[in-house]
Amino acid sequence: MASYKNPQLRDRLASEYVIGTLRGRARARFQSLMRYDSALRRIVAEWEARLTPLAAAAGEIAPPARVWRAVARRIAGGATRSLPFWRGLAVTSSAFVLILATFIGLAPRPEPPMAMVAVMSDDKGQPALVVSWPPMKAMRDPHVRIKVVQEHPVMATGTAWEMWMLPGGQAAPVSRGLSTTDADQTMRIQPALANKMEGAWGMAMSVEPQGGSPTGAPTGPVIFKGQCVRML
Amino acid sequence: MNRPAPDALAMRLAELLAQCALRNQRAFAELYGLTSAKLFGVALRILRRRDWAEEVLQECYVSVWNHAGDYAVQRSAPLTWMTSIVRNRSLDWLRRPQHEATGEEYDIAVEAWQDDSAGPLERLAASSEAAALERCLRQLDGKQRQSIMLAFYHGMSHSEVAGHMKQPLGTVKTWVRRGLERLKVCLQPGEA
Repeated sequence: MASYKNPQLRDRLASEYVIGTLRGRARARFQSLMRYDSALRRIVAEWEARLTPLAAAAGEIAPPARVWRAVARRIAGGATRSLPFWRGLAVTSSAFVLILATFIGLAPRPEPPMAMVAVMSDDKGQPALVVSWPPMKAMRDPHVRIKVVQEHPVMATGTAWEMWMLPGGQAAPVSRGLSTTDADQTMRIQPALANKMEGAWGMAMSVEPQGGSPTGAPTGPVIFKGQCVRML
Repeated sequence: MNRPAPDALAMRLAELLAQCALRNQRAFAELYGLTSAKLFGVALRILRRRDWAEEVLQECYVSVWNHAGDYAVQRSAPLTWMTSIVRNRSLDWLRRPQHEATGEEYDIAVEAWQDDSAGPLERLAASSEAAALERCLRQLDGKQRQSIMLAFYHGMSHSEVAGHMKQPLGTVKTWVRRGLERLKVCLQPGEA
């Protein structure tokens, strides 16, 4: 967008991003601009350097010990990989998505057209599951379809697989529900969360204790992840 | 408590971040010990709820651990880098509709802060690196300074600041914008 090239506007948006008054969609849009614009990131860093001493003056309050325990648990062992694991995600499987789109288009039963699809791959980049969903607004009972593409680890008893919607950028993953079987399935989505599916950047699946992540964020290893592709 | 002076602290934190990039968990524990109270304070100011602040803090430290290797290229002071992570996560958290504070919580929180409204500026003066910012903030018009402080320090949106100051939204936006422009000029290197 041409207006984002205006230096005054860039500086003003950067300052408002740092001060925190840039909210909602404007904030999300600015974050996605920053990702591809190193000059803009530099302007933001300059504003951070100017204003952050003020944040540090907030006063010190020791967090309870449970915060450290939770952090220590998450960084220990293989789970540390989870974030870079999906951040480094490239569109390696776009050809596969195209094939799949054709496949979905030729599905024998008449079904509502899929709005989004994500091919979820394992850590070797092998497609494992395909998640797809029709426009959420069109469904009385919002759900996503999970299709098993190839052999994959069997779900251990006492565990559940938790599906996460990745909003993109630095935003934290948001839980979309638990899967209790590793076969093809339909997974229901809470109606309140359904409309957010249109904005999904990617999907990830982590192994969690039965009943789901105790922290609201992925705690176990991320076994599959994939970027979403809009079909409609 | 035995605690390094600001410059020594910055150097130590940079060393610890470099160690974290090499997956040294002991360095990470020390980093947490030196910074978590500061960063929890930052998150709490913005989020106004302990449970949210705890959750965001946890996310931020996991993120610091995972991205410690990116730190060197950021070219900012370690605490600035970490504070920005906490502030951005906190603001992103508030962006989710299910996390919007109700008007009531917000009023109570602001009531509680009115007594220490001079606090941040006083505390700011205590740290030498921030002396310039403090001087420049004091040079702003009262309204500009107050609206910037409410937004940045208390994590209020434009409309919350407007509500708090009982002023039209457009007026508050202008105060914030002009105040930031003046701060930038005042903080330019070589500016007396």
